[in-house]
Amino acid sequence: MKPIRIALTKGRLEKNTVALFQKMGFDCQNLLNKGRKLILDIPNANLQVVLAKAADVITYVERGVCDMGVVGKDTILELGSQFYDVMDLGFGKCQFALAAPKNSPFYEGYTVKRIATKYPKIATEFFEKKGMDIEIIKIEGSVELAPLLGLSHAIVDIVETGTTLKENGLEVIEYIEPVSAHVIVNIASLKMRKGEIEPLLQKMEQAKGEL
Amino acid sequence: MKQYDKITPDGTKELLFEECMERRRVENILKDLFFRHGYTEVVTPGLEYYDVFSKGSRHFVQESMYKLCDLKGRLMVMRPDSTLPIARMTATRLRNENLPIRLFYNQVVYRMNKHMAGSSDEVAQTGVELIGVCSQMADLEVISTASYALSRFKSNDYRIEIGHIGLFQSLVSHITGDTDVKEELRRLIEQKNYARLNDVLEEYSSIPQAQILQRLPRLYGGEEVLKEAEGLFVDEETRGILAYLRTLYEQTCQCAQGGKVMLDLGLVNENDYYTGVIFRGYLEGSGETVLSGGRYDHLLRDFGADLPAVGFGVDVDAVTKALMQVNTPQVPPPQVLVFARKGFEIAALNFLRTQVKAGVRCENALCQTLEEALMYAKEKHIRQVAHVGQTIEIIQAGE
Repeated sequence: MKPIRIALTKGRLEKNTVALFQKMGFDCQNLLNKGRKLILDIPNANLQVVLAKAADVITYVERGVCDMGVVGKDTILELGSQFYDVMDLGFGKCQFALAAPKNSPFYEGYTVKRIATKYPKIATEFFEKKGMDIEIIKIEGSVELAPLLGLSHAIVDIVETGTTLKENGLEVIEYIEPVSAHVIVNIASLKMRKGEIEPLLQKMEQAKGEL
Repeated sequence: MKQYDKITPDGTKELLFEECMERRRVENILKDLFFRHGYTEVVTPGLEYYDVFSKGSRHFVQESMYKLCDLKGRLMVMRPDSTLPIARMTATRLRNENLPIRLFYNQVVYRMNKHMAGSSDEVAQTGVELIGVCSQMADLEVISTASYALSRFKSNDYRIEIGHIGLFQSLVSHITGDTDVKEELRRLIEQKNYARLNDVLEEYSSIPQAQILQRLPRLYGGEEVLKEAEGLFVDEETRGILAYLRTLYEQTCQCAQGGKVMLDLGLVNENDYYTGVIFRGYLEGSGETVLSGGRYDHLLRDFGADLPAVGFGVDVDAVTKALMQVNTPQVPPPQVLVFARKGFEIAALNFLRTQVKAGVRCENALCQTLEEALMYAKEKHIRQVAHVGQTIEIIQAGE
């Protein structure tokens, strides 16, 4: 039978997911000794794992070339549209936050504020809800640099412990939304292969409590 | 200046040979099937006024529509959907027809999708609308037609899934929050986002309907779904809807020889013009919803004729893609290459026409010599060359 294909976000979420799979009794030999391979089989579970970047996990699941995916809620909020978002795995926890240089009066004055972020959609929606006009500057790497260099007044980014912010003289002004790893499922796959996907999800739900 | 004269716009594509042939084949199967079920084809304009798609329950997301202006500065859109224009057309031009009115369409719709994600902005859709009757038989006819249509493409590997928007509407009417909360609940149920749904509903935990809402997205599958739902829903309205769904489900199963029909009580489309049963179709090999439809009893009233209606559309491109994954059809070469000797051009074309009339696929050779014609036939896999002179000589071109 055709295996269920699941896309994992490379890096930390991948490690956490592999640990979850081991808890579920899956044979993760291939995943642990993967070398440079990007498609790996879990022989005792009729499961095929695909390793991809977060944004690509969404694309693969949305377009149906992968049945399921594990991806951060940050990416879902920024890019997601057509898939089922069925489970919060509870790991990879952090927060979306608005941060600015310490003691800077962000909400004061009449200047249109400039916000540097890797997540333009989330930042736009956050300020839209406040009815506040802002200017977004899309930054790809360390967003904290932008206010330090004087490019922006503040940043919208994911914050885990806050150490990076602190060390760079920034502080959280407002938390926007909590973030963690989610399981997403392609709409047609859930319907065509319910008999395989549902039990897998149940197993994941059980095992995530034991992590 | 950069010129864009050698590429097609983002989200569009050209279809060549096999792809084109297969898409037309899918369209023709559907058109023929709908025609034989008593439906008649209509064509609506590719351009429509923006207002058709911008009011109340027939609201399309502004960002998803291609817009342009007419000569008087009025805002127009490239048709993003066929059901609304057909509703408008029926309400204005067919309001005095005998009921029911059975219409089908085969035309593209335009939607601005997320770019560079492999989805197309130009989607070929073929579908039916059954207007003027609100009855169980009408719903059953349309759903079983949908099921039969998909079975023509993959006799076993397809699913038809049935739900009813009334369940969600009834439950959510007990939630005291504003429309934003209700829209969020709808979205979370649509996405089967169980965790977040629980969070949002926690605030309403004293309302019994909130607990059923929480369960709603999990209620999908076979007959067991109805059993569980019948234990959950208590009020008369929702129990009535469930009883209706059960009958419809059982009847559709009988029409489709079972196994291929599912229920999803958490089916809550973004199109809020649906008022009753809603359904979707899936094909093995396609990660997309290849068919979707439902009952919309108030839409035509918006356009001035109070007529109930039910219908569905098939995403022809998605079906074509799924079929081509399994089997790429070959465009057959012409059967005969007709070569005219000098002075016999008219005779050659006349001969070609008699062949065409008899249903043979021919090609007129534009070569100088018979040798060239034979070579050409061989390259193009044309089996026979008809050498037209005083007499007509048929030469086997060989492989």
